[in-house]
Amino acid sequence: MVDSQTSQPSNPVIEVRKLRKEFGVLKALDGISFNLERGEFLSVFGPNGAGKTTLIKILSGLTRPSSGTARVAGFEVEGGHPEMRREIGVISHSTALYGDLTPLENLIFFGKMYGLGRLKELALTALEDVGLAPRRHDPVRTFSRGMIQRLSIARAILHDPSILFLDEPFTGLDIQASNVLKENLITLHNKKRTILMTTHDVSCGLEMCDKVALQVMGRFAFFEDVEGINKDKFEEMYFDAVRDKQFAMGIRHS
Amino acid sequence: MNLFISQVSAIVWKDFTIEFKTRELFSAMFIFALLVILIFIFSVNLSVVEASEVGPGILWVAFLFSGTIGLNRSFALEKENGCLMALMLMPADRTAIYFGKLISNFVFLTIMELFILPLFMIFFNIDLLEHLFPLLIVIFLGTLGFCALGTLLSSLASNLKTREIMLPILLYPLLVPIVIAVVRMTGQVLAGEPLSEMMNWIGLTASFDIIYIGVSIMTIDHILEE
Repeated sequence: MVDSQTSQPSNPVIEVRKLRKEFGVLKALDGISFNLERGEFLSVFGPNGAGKTTLIKILSGLTRPSSGTARVAGFEVEGGHPEMRREIGVISHSTALYGDLTPLENLIFFGKMYGLGRLKELALTALEDVGLAPRRHDPVRTFSRGMIQRLSIARAILHDPSILFLDEPFTGLDIQASNVLKENLITLHNKKRTILMTTHDVSCGLEMCDKVALQVMGRFAFFEDVEGINKDKFEEMYFDAVRDKQFAMGIRHS
Repeated sequence: MNLFISQVSAIVWKDFTIEFKTRELFSAMFIFALLVILIFIFSVNLSVVEASEVGPGILWVAFLFSGTIGLNRSFALEKENGCLMALMLMPADRTAIYFGKLISNFVFLTIMELFILPLFMIFFNIDLLEHLFPLLIVIFLGTLGFCALGTLLSSLASNLKTREIMLPILLYPLLVPIVIAVVRMTGQVLAGEPLSEMMNWIGLTASFDIIYIGVSIMTIDHILEE
């Protein structure tokens, strides 16, 4: 297992120490440790069932860890401090949007929940940013998967969070929608947002991130800066991991 | 405090906007309540029994059963597409979610009850207008208790696959004190007794309303958390 604490960042925005989560006998997370500094983009790859979603749920305060600690934006994640929740935006497998409401109504509702001002203006700008302004009065249930995913991004960044957790955001998107999403994420990265994204899309994940992790059986089997990583070798390693979850017991570096 | 009120009102606004567009909840509750009353009308021989004796029980059965449809839908709506998760991520006291849903459920059910009352009056040939004010107080207290406990249990049952079955199983036994009190009070109101004659029942119902709301405030955080 890789101990990613070896290169200690000066002021980590996300600080995870020996994080464990057990569901009965199943270990979803098995002692993960890592740091992320402000503005860094971490792509986490891993086979299904590796514990990637659990990691995001714990970091966003939705689930309590069994042991270990995690601090996000300076707050302990356990208990989900309201100020911490104000600093994060989450895009998960589910859209977290109301199908019977229009995009504008959805964003206005979530904006009210965050206590934001000048809501209509803010919501319209967010819709323009993700290219959905022309459809702002249509019910969300009539949208394609790609449009819904873009709206999910608008919802997640409406309150201008400094940290984003994205759980497989490219799932089910066609090439055009993927490209739009990618552009949105690159813009957010350029704006110094700290991003943690789980994905199965190696090219996309490696292209955008600063750091790469490979999570297998609840552990980070690989955690490195993206610079110097050979894409082909990493891809091979990832496919090995998917093929053989026992990979978690070994340590690989590119 | 301002944020709390803003969040509660946002949830109520959202629920009303969705209901205004779909009209799913009101129509389902209203039709169900109407059917319950119609079934009882045909099964009870009103020439043998006094309408004011059987009426209160029938009225509350209609209110509570149709209200359960609304409660089942309440948190199911939030579970669809993971919206509850998004609400949990808000920088909010989670009691805001509870109070928002409680107010929505209460208002939906009260509106439905106000539509049912005239029909009840016609079918049972009871003059409710004479006793309207005390009757509305009884309905307010009963509906509040039902919604306070129902909203809490609806949030609990929403995590279960069998939520439609579990909600009534959990809810009805705990509602017994309120149901007995409101049926008794409704009977007394229809018999023309003043509210001052039923202060014990009013006190009991109000106490249970407060207890249900208090318990909900204390437990909703743990119930909503996975």
